[in-house]
Amino acid sequence: MRKFLSFFVLSAGLVFAEEKIVLKKPPSSLDKYYPPASTKFEFLSNMHAMSTAFYGINANINEGNWEKALMWAQKLKEIYVKTSKMVPEWKNYFKPELADALVNAVKSKDTDKVIKASRNLGQTCAKCHRDNELVVKLYYHFPSFDKVKLEDPIDFMEYETGKYMKVMTNSLKALKVFLSQGDLDRAQEEGMNFIERARGLRAMCSKCHTNKLSEEVILGKNFEEGLAKLEKLLSETPKKEEVFQALGQVTISCAKCHNVHLAPAMVREAFSR
Amino acid sequence: MIGFLLLLLLLASCQKFDEVFIEEDLLQRPQAKRCADCHADIYKEWLKSRHAKAWVSEHFKFETENYSKTKCLSCHAPHQVDPDKKPVLRVEFRRDGVSCVACHFKEETMAMHGPLKVWSPPHPSIQDLNYLKSNFCAGCHQETYKEWKLTKVQKSCQSCHMPSLGKKDLIQKFPFHLFHLAKPRTSHEFPSLKAKPDDIQIKIEGKKLLITNVGVPHNLPTADQGEPKFYLVVKATSKDGKVKTIRRILSPQRKNALVYGRPFVITLPFEHIDKVQVEIHRKLAWAKERDLILRKELTP
Ligand code: HEC
Ligand code: HEC
Ligand code: HEC
Ligand code: HEC
Ligand code: HEC
Ligand code: HEC
Ligand code: HEC
Ligand code: HEC
Repeated sequence: MRKFLSFFVLSAGLVFAEEKIVLKKPPSSLDKYYPPASTKFEFLSNMHAMSTAFYGINANINEGNWEKALMWAQKLKEIYVKTSKMVPEWKNYFKPELADALVNAVKSKDTDKVIKASRNLGQTCAKCHRDNELVVKLYYHFPSFDKVKLEDPIDFMEYETGKYMKVMTNSLKALKVFLSQGDLDRAQEEGMNFIERARGLRAMCSKCHTNKLSEEVILGKNFEEGLAKLEKLLSETPKKEEVFQALGQVTISCAKCHNVHLAPAMVREAFSR
Repeated sequence: MIGFLLLLLLLASCQKFDEVFIEEDLLQRPQAKRCADCHADIYKEWLKSRHAKAWVSEHFKFETENYSKTKCLSCHAPHQVDPDKKPVLRVEFRRDGVSCVACHFKEETMAMHGPLKVWSPPHPSIQDLNYLKSNFCAGCHQETYKEWKLTKVQKSCQSCHMPSLGKKDLIQKFPFHLFHLAKPRTSHEFPSLKAKPDDIQIKIEGKKLLITNVGVPHNLPTADQGEPKFYLVVKATSKDGKVKTIRRILSPQRKNALVYGRPFVITLPFEHIDKVQVEIHRKLAWAKERDLILRKELTP
């Protein structure tokens, strides 16, 4: 039975054997199963249903309950066939005869046959996942940062995320340059601009998040204290080492936010071009 | 009029009266414009309110990427409003946004709830004093409500954002309006209002400029998910004639809005200040234009 159990781990989830991943834009007929066209995630919920049905077969056979197992096999077949009609571009990924074969294998009450039929069917799942699951996750479950606009607190202009980041980072670089070459007035001015721009980052979180806790995880106390320290250092005669130390404290938050959001944001951006 | 009253008494004594005049569809969650068949004035006010635009707002549509950010939708097209409770998303007529039915119809009683004691044959009505309290708004205006509570000011959201219109008819439908006396009416335009110059106190203390919200019992500006902004421009002139300008955007999302009673501090750029000019404009979350709140010149 062990053999049987461990096999199913393979039949769902991400499987990458290749050294290279190619991301193809998902077919547009998938749109209708995702927001805004639908909030019911019909395609995804069929995936969950198939995965549950697989488990149902497995668990019941393990307990010797072949009748219940057959019920789940039939259910799996039914959803599999239904799903195969949802996205015409993906029709060829499905092999309905393999779902039939699984039903027959369960009917035969022969565990070895069930394992073989499951593996064959499972491979059709795995092939499609390899080609499409990652990109669908990124494309349909992640909003776009391109559409997020932020108003710059210094020049009162509205920028999209990437441009805002650039403008903010430029004042950060200017601070470092002027400080390093001893041009303290300019360093102070650019430094204050950087602080205000960094504080302004908060304004973007509520465009996607409805829970203020998400904001605190990344732009929490450490970030605020770092900025306050920086502000204080700049209002006196700034010392280079201390300023750089405070900057380090602030930019931890930048890195954290990038770690969470950047990879999906870049994929989305690539597709929207 | 006496005749009508007699007729009314006569009818009221008849047991089946209420059932005769009941209009079943009103209890089946109709569109807002159905309420306008009788409540014409209230409907016209509501149409001008932001609540009526909560779903169709172009800006909201943009910010939710064409309604694809599913966790954003429930407060903009709520099913039923209850005090302190975040609503769930409505299934029907989402374009109505925060609608009459959402705010007044309760599934539990199958009746319209409202602040008044009324006799309303077309639909059952139940007087419910929760409508007068700020926490009626709290399920959606969560952040603003928290801010308001901390101020300990007694005035409710309604008393400022649903100002009294005096006594008027609740319905305009002939001949039924003749059966009803004028009642206290409140504005369903839900005006956003605008801070008065006196609501914001500004003073210079040494090298610091202190700006304090002393008049509006929540942050200035305040919001949950939108981003209304105050644009602050401070122009400082030193004794020797040098001029420096400091600009700030204040907004709830940036966590630097003016908290009631707590000064917002700006460090002035000169030791010896001659004068300071302060200008504040504001832009509401959905608006394109900025309007002037105050312009002041101060000397130390
Ligand atoms: C034609 C392509 C295709 C086939 C065939 C397919 N899947 Fe999927 N599957 C997907 C895609 C795309 C996703 C990602 C969907 C999403 O995240 O919205 C997915 C996701 C899943 C998930 C993860 C769900 C989650 O919440 O992350 C499971 C489990 C799953 N599929 C099970 C199966 C099983 C079991 C089969 C075979 C019986 C199968 N799938 C066949 C395309 C396919
Ligand atoms: C364009 C949309 C978008 C913006 C803007 C955005 N996020 Fe996220 N963020 C997401 C998505 C999508 C996830 C995945 C989890 C989810 O679906 O909520 C996520 C996850 C997170 C997580 C981990 C899960 C959680 O909610 O705790 C944190 C923390 C987070 N974001 C913080 C922030 C902060 C801080 C900001 C503002 C500086 C921000 N995000 C701005 C889309 C966004
Ligand atoms: C939401 C969380 C978030 C926070 C906080 C954040 N960033 Fe970013 N940053 C992003 C995202 C998303 C992008 C990709 C935007 C795009 O290209 O569309 C990005 C892009 C960048 C880029 C590349 C810009 C370009 O297009 O060339 C730089 C540089 C950058 N960030 C610097 C910073 C610095 C410095 C900080 C901290 C002071 C910071 N970021 C804080 C999310 C964040
Ligand atoms: C079901 C959720 C909900 C409830 C309950 C609710 N509101 Fe609102 N309110 C909103 C939404 C959403 C908006 C923004 C609509 C838009 O502009 O897109 C809004 C906007 C407003 C505005 C205009 C703000 C602006 O930016 O101009 C005011 C004023 C207001 N509400 C007052 C109130 C008051 C007072 C109450 C209680 C009597 C209340 N609201 C109850 C959801 C709600
Ligand atoms: C808890 C209820 C609630 C949720 C959930 C909610 N909003 Fe709102 N939203 C409000 C209220 C109340 C207002 C009016 C006050 C303000 O401006 O925040 C509003 C106003 C707005 C506005 C400004 C008015 C306009 O039409 O331009 C935008 C934009 C907005 N919301 C977008 C969003 C987005 C994006 C999300 C999801 C990330 C979201 N909302 C989720 C309650 C909510
Ligand atoms: C056929 C006419 C008619 C229609 C249509 C109608 N009403 Fe009424 N409504 C009345 C009458 C009559 C009263 C009582 C008026 C009075 O006493 O002055 C009333 C009173 C009310 C009250 C006050 C309740 C209170 O206790 O404070 C509310 C709230 C109300 N209606 C909501 C609605 C809503 C929401 C709709 C649309 C779904 C609606 N009505 C449609 C006739 C109507
Ligand atoms: C955001 C929620 C909200 C919406 C939307 C709303 N109302 Fe009200 N309504 C209230 C509150 C709160 C009161 C009580 C105000 C008070 O007395 O201070 C009220 C009062 C009333 C009253 C009593 C008379 C009055 O003017 O105070 C009637 C009748 C009424 N509403 C009908 C309607 C109708 C019809 C609509 C749609 C056109 C509507 N309401 C939309 C919240 C709402
Ligand atoms: C004493 C009167 C008063 C009370 C009470 C009050 N407000 Fe306000 N509110 C104002 C004024 C004045 C403004 C205009 C501020 C400005 O100039 O932007 C305002 C603005 C708003 C705005 C628009 C965003 C903004 O800041 O401009 C919303 C939303 C709002 N109030 C909601 C509420 C809610 C919800 C409550 C109850 C918890 C409430 N208000 C209580 C006076 C009041």
